[in-house]
Amino acid sequence: MDKEESRYLNVMHETACAEFGSALEMLAACKSSDKESFAYGYFEHSKDEYNHTKTFLSLLSKVGKKSDVNIARNFRLNANSLITKGYISRKGYLVETMSIKDFIAYVYTNELLAKESFEKILKLVRKNTKEGNLIQKIMKDELRHHGMAQQHFLKYYPRLQPWHLLIYKLRESVKNKGRKFYDKNLKFLDKILTPLYLSMAYFASKIVVRIDLKEFKREGKNLMEIHPKSII
Amino acid sequence: MFLGITGYNHESSAALVNDNGNLVNYYREEVLSRIKGDKSFPKRSINEILKFNNLSIDDIKGVAFYERPLSAFLNPLKIAALNLPKSLSLISHQCRNFDKSSISCFLDISKNFSGLEKKLIYLDHHLSHTLTALPYSSIQNDICSIVIDGFGDRSTSSISKVNNLFNIQEIWSCEYPVSLGLFYSAITDYLGFQVNEGEYKVMGLAAFGDSNSEIAKKVYQLVSWDNSSKRIVMDMSYFSYHVSPKESFSEKLINILGEPRNPFAQLLPEESDFEYYANIAAGAQKAITDNLCHIFTFANSITGSKRFLFSGGVASNSAALDTLSRLEFVDEIIVPPSPGDAGCSIGAAYYAYLKSHNKSIKKLPKPNLFPSKFNSSRQKLLAKKIIKEKFKILANNYEDSITKAVALLKKGEVIGTILNDSETGPRALGNRSLICDGKSQDAVKTLNSFIKNRSPFRPTAPCMKMSTAKKYYDLRPELMGCYRYMNATCKCKDENIAINFPTTHIDGTVRLQIVDESHLLHKLLTSLENENIDILANSSLNVSGDPTCFDLIDGLMMCSLRPLKYIFTDFGLLESLT
Repeated sequence: MDKEESRYLNVMHETACAEFGSALEMLAACKSSDKESFAYGYFEHSKDEYNHTKTFLSLLSKVGKKSDVNIARNFRLNANSLITKGYISRKGYLVETMSIKDFIAYVYTNELLAKESFEKILKLVRKNTKEGNLIQKIMKDELRHHGMAQQHFLKYYPRLQPWHLLIYKLRESVKNKGRKFYDKNLKFLDKILTPLYLSMAYFASKIVVRIDLKEFKREGKNLMEIHPKSII
Repeated sequence: MFLGITGYNHESSAALVNDNGNLVNYYREEVLSRIKGDKSFPKRSINEILKFNNLSIDDIKGVAFYERPLSAFLNPLKIAALNLPKSLSLISHQCRNFDKSSISCFLDISKNFSGLEKKLIYLDHHLSHTLTALPYSSIQNDICSIVIDGFGDRSTSSISKVNNLFNIQEIWSCEYPVSLGLFYSAITDYLGFQVNEGEYKVMGLAAFGDSNSEIAKKVYQLVSWDNSSKRIVMDMSYFSYHVSPKESFSEKLINILGEPRNPFAQLLPEESDFEYYANIAAGAQKAITDNLCHIFTFANSITGSKRFLFSGGVASNSAALDTLSRLEFVDEIIVPPSPGDAGCSIGAAYYAYLKSHNKSIKKLPKPNLFPSKFNSSRQKLLAKKIIKEKFKILANNYEDSITKAVALLKKGEVIGTILNDSETGPRALGNRSLICDGKSQDAVKTLNSFIKNRSPFRPTAPCMKMSTAKKYYDLRPELMGCYRYMNATCKCKDENIAINFPTTHIDGTVRLQIVDESHLLHKLLTSLENENIDILANSSLNVSGDPTCFDLIDGLMMCSLRPLKYIFTDFGLLESLT
């Protein structure tokens, strides 16, 4: 039961993070738009993603409050984890690091991929339940966002052919699969390398204990006179 | 121009001080990125500062980082190394995340703002805090600075004597891992709240508890002041933050307090376990308050000072300040508007400024309360369609907006504000606020529970004019500055009607704000006087867990997501059609 519960909480937690990340991405896109109509579109999209986040957080909370406290404690949402988990890049929001055309392509493809992910979640919560209805509503939203991105493409990049969109989709799908493969391998590698990391940490600590930090104590010193270039 | 920056280990921010020593701009990274407690390198904040002030890298004469990076990295590592083998995972974690620690500061600056790294200097973390608090004091020499936080680059608490701006002598310090801030954070974590975010909740919860209960006494005994050695004493076997990358308390703490609280379970006053957790919070709050009293007393004995700068994350504990102000030797306590680490970029910028002026400066000018610059005109154009589709403009100039807002407040409505420049934070002082009639139970409940989605045990702060505050509350002359920034609580006068106001906490205290005469809130209060409304409830414009709204679009989004109907902006009063 614990394992299944953990898996459920993990799915809800990760999806909430992903949706929250999307909400912030769209909000950033709204603020950096150069047209009021684009800003409106991104605003609405961001609002939907915020509401999706809320839905997943409430699903998480519903099961989390009945779970073993030691399991539940691992699934508290910390906004900083959006960066550490990679839902938001350390380099910045997508709209800050991509061309607008690539950004729309990213939205176009990822909304569809998200919808596919939600199909798996739907199986987890079961279709004819209250939770299932909520997920289905979110899936509709994702399809709508996908359609809006497509419309944007056709309107603002009329020279693009439908096969261009297919290429974009293929490219994003490959990237997405690559990311999952990388993540899986990273976790696998992490497991293998953990003993090595711990051994290295052990030897590092043997050096660190020898460092005498007391000579850097400040008591009795004028703090304004400590060398401004010193990093210790 | 001089830049100060914080980041990596704590909330990141950037501040700009001009050649005359005025704080001209300041941003918390979280308000720009919308990621609560954002610790990443403050790229957006620095960019925004350069853009808003039309500056190039060449215009920046100096940039200071708020801590000494190697010290901040090595000190906790050494403590962990002394606690092998249980700390092995922490050491491994620290070493693997070496590039995400503040040691990367130099590289990140050179990568993102090439040329600026040549002007980079560093200062001690607690000196950053002291220099953040100092400009808010009218007296800037012969004053004592007390800094209490979780952890900086060496110590967790310190006492310094500010002889003058160029002679700040550290007299006493408490070394990591013994830490009042981390003790409070561990209890915050035990109670199921997020560390670095939920400490306010513990403070609010404590008022419902009994500090004389058995469980409170157990918590209280976890940290104490040893008067013979003049040290804070903690039994570290109850805590894990110094040996584990994930856990802040140990099995031993669970053995004496029981299972930690499930973070997803709602904490409601009517629930059976509420009293138990409130008692734990009360024990922690009493421990903090009493230890602070000891530190202040000791600081007075070694410096002879009666005026205190108080900063660091623990200085955000507004409930402790009223007790501190009652210590017989205290004449004044100055807490800056942003006493936590996010505020340290202000101190760092002042350090860069002072270092370039070769001891010729005698005094730092007092910073204004709204240093986060925002230009609404660009966003007004951008948000035109959003406003057209989703809002109705009730008034399109300032005076009409005030008239309409007064009528709405009278009717018990809640109004959000997004008015030009923003507060230093974390307290909203009127420019990024949610306000309503502070005497209306229904309005305050709507603001607190429905709009902000806050736990029902958390109080909402009131704001008022000085004359009103004197009528209802036992104001402490030692804390007058703190009341401007909503940094201290005070008690209702004995048998005063204020005890029944919805903004009064269960223990008869309020964290009040006395409003400045030039501010919108003052104008609203003046207009509302005839309606018998002399108090407004004032809370930050955000949903619980999110950063405070910064720009117009954030405010419009808040209206779209929550049942907030009205928003007062620079160009008028809007009504949400959602």
